[in-house]
Amino acid sequence: MKKIFLVCIAIFLFQNTSYSQSNIKLENLFGDLRARHIGPAVMSGRINDLENHPTDPKIIYAGAAGGGVWKSNDAGTTFNPIFDEFCQSIGAIEIDPNDPDNTIYVGTGETWPRNSVSVGDGLYKSVDGGNNWKKIGFEKSERIANIIVNPNNSKEIIVGVLGALWSDSQDRGVYKSTDGGLTWKQILYVNQSTGCADLAINPNDPNIIYASMWEFRRTGWSFNSGGENSALYKSIDGGVNWKKIHNGFPEGNLGRLAIAVANSNPEVIYTVIEAEKNEKKGIYKSVDAGDSWKQMNNDFGITVRPFYFSRIVVDPRDENIIIKGGLSGSISKDGGETFKDLGFMHSDIHDAVFDINNSDVLYVGTDGGVYRSWNKGTTMEIVENLPLSQFYHISIDNETPYNVYGGLQDNGSWYGPSFAPGGITAKEWNPVGQGDGFRVLRHPAKNIIYSEMQGAENVWRYDADNNLVKTIQPLAVSGYEDYRFNWNAPIATSSNKPNRLYIGSQYLHKSEDMGDDWEIISPDLTTNNSEKQNQEDSGGLSMDNSGAENHTTIFTIAESPLNENIIWVGTDDGNIQVTTDGGKTWENTISNVQGVPKNTWVYHIEASSHDSNTAYVVFDGHTSGDMTPYAYKTTDLGKTWKNIIPSQDVYGFVRNIQEDYVNSDLLFLGTEFGLYITVDGGENWAKFTKNMPSVAVHFIDLQKQTNDLVMGTHGRGVIIIDDISPLREIKPETLSSKLHFFSEDTYTMNDYSGFADNFGRETQFVGENPSFDCEIKYLLPKRHTFGKMTFEIQDMDGNLLAKLGAGKSKGINIVNWNYTIKQPKIAKGKTFSFGGFTSPRVAAGTYKAVIKKGRDTYEKVFNVEYDKKTGLNPNERKMQYEVVMKMYNMVQGLAYLVYKLDAIVEDENTNKKTVSKLNDLKETLVITTGDNYVGTAKKQLREKMADLYSKIASSYDKPSDNELDNLSLIESEFNMAKTKFNKLKKKVKIEGLSLKSFEEFINE
Amino acid sequence: MLKRILVLIALVCSYSINAQTVDEIISNYFENTGGVENWEKIEGVKMSAKVNQGGMEIPIEIVQLKSGKMMTTINFQGQSIKQGVFDGEVLWSTNFMTQKAEKSDEEAINMLKNEMNQFPDPFLNYKEKGYTAELMGTETVDGAETFKIKLTTTPNIIEGKEVPSVSYYFFDNENFVPIQVQEEIMEGPGKGMVSEVKMSDYQEAGDVYMPYSMTQGVKGQPGAPITMDSIEINPTVDDSEFAFPEEETPEEN
Repeated sequence: MKKIFLVCIAIFLFQNTSYSQSNIKLENLFGDLRARHIGPAVMSGRINDLENHPTDPKIIYAGAAGGGVWKSNDAGTTFNPIFDEFCQSIGAIEIDPNDPDNTIYVGTGETWPRNSVSVGDGLYKSVDGGNNWKKIGFEKSERIANIIVNPNNSKEIIVGVLGALWSDSQDRGVYKSTDGGLTWKQILYVNQSTGCADLAINPNDPNIIYASMWEFRRTGWSFNSGGENSALYKSIDGGVNWKKIHNGFPEGNLGRLAIAVANSNPEVIYTVIEAEKNEKKGIYKSVDAGDSWKQMNNDFGITVRPFYFSRIVVDPRDENIIIKGGLSGSISKDGGETFKDLGFMHSDIHDAVFDINNSDVLYVGTDGGVYRSWNKGTTMEIVENLPLSQFYHISIDNETPYNVYGGLQDNGSWYGPSFAPGGITAKEWNPVGQGDGFRVLRHPAKNIIYSEMQGAENVWRYDADNNLVKTIQPLAVSGYEDYRFNWNAPIATSSNKPNRLYIGSQYLHKSEDMGDDWEIISPDLTTNNSEKQNQEDSGGLSMDNSGAENHTTIFTIAESPLNENIIWVGTDDGNIQVTTDGGKTWENTISNVQGVPKNTWVYHIEASSHDSNTAYVVFDGHTSGDMTPYAYKTTDLGKTWKNIIPSQDVYGFVRNIQEDYVNSDLLFLGTEFGLYITVDGGENWAKFTKNMPSVAVHFIDLQKQTNDLVMGTHGRGVIIIDDISPLREIKPETLSSKLHFFSEDTYTMNDYSGFADNFGRETQFVGENPSFDCEIKYLLPKRHTFGKMTFEIQDMDGNLLAKLGAGKSKGINIVNWNYTIKQPKIAKGKTFSFGGFTSPRVAAGTYKAVIKKGRDTYEKVFNVEYDKKTGLNPNERKMQYEVVMKMYNMVQGLAYLVYKLDAIVEDENTNKKTVSKLNDLKETLVITTGDNYVGTAKKQLREKMADLYSKIASSYDKPSDNELDNLSLIESEFNMAKTKFNKLKKKVKIEGLSLKSFEEFINE
Repeated sequence: MLKRILVLIALVCSYSINAQTVDEIISNYFENTGGVENWEKIEGVKMSAKVNQGGMEIPIEIVQLKSGKMMTTINFQGQSIKQGVFDGEVLWSTNFMTQKAEKSDEEAINMLKNEMNQFPDPFLNYKEKGYTAELMGTETVDGAETFKIKLTTTPNIIEGKEVPSVSYYFFDNENFVPIQVQEEIMEGPGKGMVSEVKMSDYQEAGDVYMPYSMTQGVKGQPGAPITMDSIEINPTVDDSEFAFPEEETPEEN
């Protein structure tokens, strides 16, 4: 039976190995290729919602604006992500109070709709504490503000949907389910531009519901908050009937309103009102469940930016203690009469929760992560392991290890290394700008870094070697209109002229001296539509002209790496301009693009590194409510553009594209919901999900030396996929082979050594390092599950050097070898010889990886090279290797000697006197007393020998004279011991003893 | 002969298409790995392996018996060090520094007692053990299509609170053997992370098939591979091997 079964399996294997060109399912082939996250978590990122467990004070959930859902089991000391496969922009989290360990709801889509806000894609439910999630509707809701489960009935749920920000939509208002989320009914709807901004219930009577409805709209160039449809509603019959509760409210139109009910006395409710008149804005309180209202306070902290901060939290045990979100966050202890700022922390406070048992303890969500307080907000401490940084842009340099540069929402500009001893901690990151950070670029040849703040108000040139900073933004000159810089103004360097720098307003500015002087090399390249240039009117009821809405600007600049006269410029109002003469003449090629609505934001242009006439462009239509993914390619300087997302493979609008330097059919696409990859020029795209969350990828770069794909995400920091080179070889031919070794065949043994700072790591996020191992990579057409599969490293004569666990995945497999053979066999003593745990490295040379799978054997020959940075010459390397191996053999020789000695001692025929003499000898060979810690005994020959072996084997350097002298000493001691042993051995009859040979002993 | 094979292939094919219920998947699994009768005959397992840790090769031996007794023996420089030894009542490990045995707490012991029933395979007669299994759907693991099955076993007491024991098994939809197990870590500093074990190299162990290769780690991170050199079914192990070694008190003079 078994035999027949195996035959069947074999036939299955055979059947499944055929592929056709058009059917490469790349998403099943990524195998061991995986992303690593390097943060940073120094400044964390924006938090939208915090939620605590109703009975376990140690459990806290945080919903990030762009970084998913995180759960803490230790009162915020550490957090783990629990929602990586889904949309990372979070609106609301709700724990079912009747089943808090299992049932959790997550509503996606951030509800603080700043210009850079992402979008959600529905409501999710878990019934197993967050291990598995199911989308249960609201696909088009775009942003969910609240979810409330009836505390007496888990089947009854109400959801407040704020809805689409950039377009009309009927998918908004208040919804109710009475069957645990299977079906939904819209129970409050106002119109296509008014959504539910906040929702609350009376905890003693869940049929009493309060809903704040908000009229709002954003465009690429303006924001409006408020209108005649904004209102506060109340229902006392579970949402069947609603009435406005405005008795005591200000006259005129209203904007965003928050609502909060005091749990300890549900007659007390608070709202914060955005009104027409400044003096009427602020906190209002009702002590009769909304029948009448009284204005309490309109301090700056209470009225600031209502669209961003309309959140009120009431202490569950004290109706007079309230927290209001804001620039600094405010707390009142007198029912809203007076407020003071919360303790010093990152600005922009969006949410707070009190500990369920102790109101002195509170958690606060900010634009810079989660903070905790033990004294009701007087002093705050940051949670250090939430890597939620929101990059707008990243770039890399060519150092070893390379550095990653980037700018963050509200958190400045930074650079940090792609590798650091022990991992990439917070202290490895260096600030290189203030305000909001955007484009950060390293000079192609010098240690000079360019960075900027919003709207290019400052562009900095930072001489990192000498700590010299200069502002270099272009200033107004006669003959030109006032410059219009985007909030996220594009800066570009040139790979043809290292000192060249570009920056885009509506004009393209060029500098040939690192920004000291500027020349305008274009006319206005935008549509210059004056209707989109009234930012001073932006904001609605509360003016909000931060510069974030600046429009009709240049957004992307790309000089061809192959021809410095070809420059591409894309604008936020939908122009693709190209010059082939360094800016003398420009051509707008947008009319040659088919299938993209007019004036759609040109988000990124990538000039090909293979052909100067080739470029890629991606469009982002989300600011007009168009979520379609758009990517196009031209091979004729824009005369024709080809849609390179012809399929339905890609989900989410596109922000960036990266072409591979080697294989022009290999492209990487950054979308709002993650990374997509194609190996056939765009015919098919596959989502990359290996340790890669569905996070918005704003910018991608590819490191030429390492082939690492580096992504700037808007919510999960910098994410790297090390060495994407195997993707270049995924083709029908390689997939149809039974096992394909990827072509990489030369590896360098890195001599890196150093010290890691381990302090603080218990609670800090630590970015993952790349591997320094020899990584043998191969492609399997099918996962290996049945039968034996082994992986060995052998020398060219077939001698076994290392046995490693083979990769079994369908697709790309990576087996790591750290260039060592196994550690020497050590003489048995009472304690461990720690030097004996060292495995020696092989010499540089040619080796082979040998995979045996079933009856088949596959071999890959590869070269191992020495690291050149140590400066050792080949003779010195040879000498080091020979000394190490001499000592390795000596250590094993001693082990064999002790083995024989023990065998003779244990033999009953050995006379007592000889036993005693042999034991005396043994005491000089190995430690026979004590323990492995402070009870350790005096070192004997084994310890001295193994320690020297380990010292030399672990060093990057050739053995010193001192080490060689020490070796001679140890060697002579060993020779003396051998002589002694041989003399004593003659006194016993060993013929009866069945002693193992040296080889048998070593390999047992 | 060819006809017979083709009929068999058709049978196997129809299995993979029609095997929708959790019990069909589980029954296929046992059928394909030797049959329930052979699995029921297993009284104990001894696995020998070499773990490779950063170039250091460490021989280990794992013994598990139906009675609940178990131990892992690690060999370092000629010395055997026992870890996770359970004699049915006492759970102990050897301290690496002092090389003396130290006992584990009551919660850890009760957890092991709860798990005793899972031997040799938690799915074997799982209903009689009071476990439940639920088919969650299909998922891709290492590029292979799998059935995801949620297995709920006896709940544990962790930090004084009853916590359900839930693990997710991913059964390859061609061979009906589990190729991955995921489980939320419920205690210790890793609490909240998901442990992940991948299995492959199913080969004969006595009269059944077992995975000879496993990769263990945390979801999202690279795991550590371990390959069995041998799996011995129903080994002879002396009871004294599991006993907690009482420390000898030196006689006072």
